[in-house]
Amino acid sequence: MLNEKPTLKSTGKALLYLLPMLVITITFNIYPIIKSFIMSFYTKYDFFRDIVSQYGFDNFKFLFSDPDFHIAVKNTLIFVVGVVPLTVIISLAVALLLNRITWLSGLFRTVYFLPFVTSTVAIAQVWHWIYNSDYGLLNYFLGFFGVNAISWLESPRYAMLALIIMSVWKNLGFNIVLFLVGLNNINERYYQAAKIDGANSWHQFTNVTVPLLSPITFLVSVNGVIGSFKVFDEIFALFNGTPGPSKSALTIVYYLYQKFYTEWKYGIAAASGVVLFFMILLVTMFQLWYSKRHVHY
Amino acid sequence: MEVTFKDVSLSYDGSREILHHLNFTIPEGTLVSILGPSGCGKSTTLMMISGLLAPTSGQIFFGDEDVTKQDALQRKVGMVFQNYALYPHLNVLDNIMFPLKMAKVPKPERKKKAIELAKLVHIEDQLDKKPGSLSGGQQQRVAIARALAKEPSLLLLDEPLSNLDARLRIEMRQEIRRIQQETGVTTIFVTHDQDEALHISDHIMVLNSGQIQQFSSAETLYDNPSNLFVAQFIGEPVINTLDIADFGDELKGQIDTELLKRTQKVGIRPEALQDHDTGAETLATITTKVKTFEKFGREKNALLDFNGKRLLTTEIEAEIAEGQELPLYLQKSGFYLFDQDGTRIFGGDQDA
Repeated sequence: MLNEKPTLKSTGKALLYLLPMLVITITFNIYPIIKSFIMSFYTKYDFFRDIVSQYGFDNFKFLFSDPDFHIAVKNTLIFVVGVVPLTVIISLAVALLLNRITWLSGLFRTVYFLPFVTSTVAIAQVWHWIYNSDYGLLNYFLGFFGVNAISWLESPRYAMLALIIMSVWKNLGFNIVLFLVGLNNINERYYQAAKIDGANSWHQFTNVTVPLLSPITFLVSVNGVIGSFKVFDEIFALFNGTPGPSKSALTIVYYLYQKFYTEWKYGIAAASGVVLFFMILLVTMFQLWYSKRHVHY
Repeated sequence: MEVTFKDVSLSYDGSREILHHLNFTIPEGTLVSILGPSGCGKSTTLMMISGLLAPTSGQIFFGDEDVTKQDALQRKVGMVFQNYALYPHLNVLDNIMFPLKMAKVPKPERKKKAIELAKLVHIEDQLDKKPGSLSGGQQQRVAIARALAKEPSLLLLDEPLSNLDARLRIEMRQEIRRIQQETGVTTIFVTHDQDEALHISDHIMVLNSGQIQQFSSAETLYDNPSNLFVAQFIGEPVINTLDIADFGDELKGQIDTELLKRTQKVGIRPEALQDHDTGAETLATITTKVKTFEKFGREKNALLDFNGKRLLTTEIEAEIAEGQELPLYLQKSGFYLFDQDGTRIFGGDQDA
């Protein structure tokens, strides 16, 4: 019955249905989250016997005075600020073009989607060659414009840029598909009405396409921000297991990885995870607040 | 503005023609309905006037100016779409102001004009709302205000009442008439509902399968349908249509024999079948048998059998019983003969 009142029995039954998923979620998501929060306060920890002899804020104090962590935060922010807007703008532009053409559009869609289904390691290997300073395609191409060979992956100046370019390219496919869905959902009538109202193509774009696409743009940017804050595998694969030349591509997750797996400083690793969590939370909350005023559902 | 179509044809894919050689002139300052069954090309005709669609051949004139090659942006007509197409992200005021914004009208002036229009369509108390929270009738008013905002010389309405409930529809069609008369803008109104067209317009263009059947006043359409399609399309209840072969000698002597020979179909309006002799108005008498008789409100519908064919009349005054024989008096007005092409050859004002 639709108007059935919840009873102890029906609630129990519902819980039973939820149980399998709950068990998995609690074991692999909820428990580790709580555990890592607690772990970030371990200041004296014997991990061989799993005995914590002291709790405190020392891990956070360490982070705030560790120059490496400062670099990691800075790099992460640069990465997010570099990747997200570029991804949104380029994938929207490509989606608009794909939406216009009818000829071979299916083929193009597949081609643009391919990076999304390809392993990051394979992509990084390909870009490794593209970025190669002596034989790379990118330097060869730039050579036509008189640009001298750039050591993309070896120079601390260009490593982050190289990482951003590759990540944007890798993100495009999925976001293009999202934008295409959004574009298809805009009723043709609005464009006709706008034409009648005297809006030229640009005004149609700014007054119809952009506002009516804003839910998708919001989704893409929130998704992009969260994903970019967590960047790790692209770095690991592109720079062969290093955080780039002179830590130029050291990000928070990479820092966490180093502290956890190579230095065995679990408390510090957990603390950096907590800091990352709050950074993402803060930015996402800002986005939500912004969307209340500028996203039209 | 006067709108003229000269030999306009349209085909979407190059092979299947949807509109065939349309020729008409819509006089300035009038309200004209384009009426026809769905799929007859009436919305398409409107889209060509608006400039959203270009004709395959022929010319379109606004006044003396040839606008065939101009697109919707240049033609500057106002249009109300069937589903209104209000911008969902803008509130009512911004929706009405949008065409003015596009025309780069300064903001204070824009606002003043928009509020004026909102008052004209009686929507001034909803200015801050988004279209999503308005009722169908309110959305429609906003759509009309938006269409009128840039003071178009031409207002196009594409089935604007089809999404409204019956009562609101009647109210809104009177509103449209009022607004049209207050602003004096030449208005073209597309509908499939004859009732709407008959009540609202100065002239009605009846369209069927991409061709103009008749273009005249509502009264003329009803009294002097130019062909069988118009006779059957206009009028409620629908005109009785019989084959000439269904008649025996009833019409002989009353109508010219030559005409009768050319006749294929006979059309009789339900009110042209009286149950009493009307003297000079009576054309002929036929004998029928009562099948059913229904009465509700002021409607009296009698279904009769005439030589195996069904006839409907609304004019029974006497008490009748089912199964009884009933002589009926065919009236001159409301009786038509059509030849094999469907063209009217007898009836209407010419033979009254």
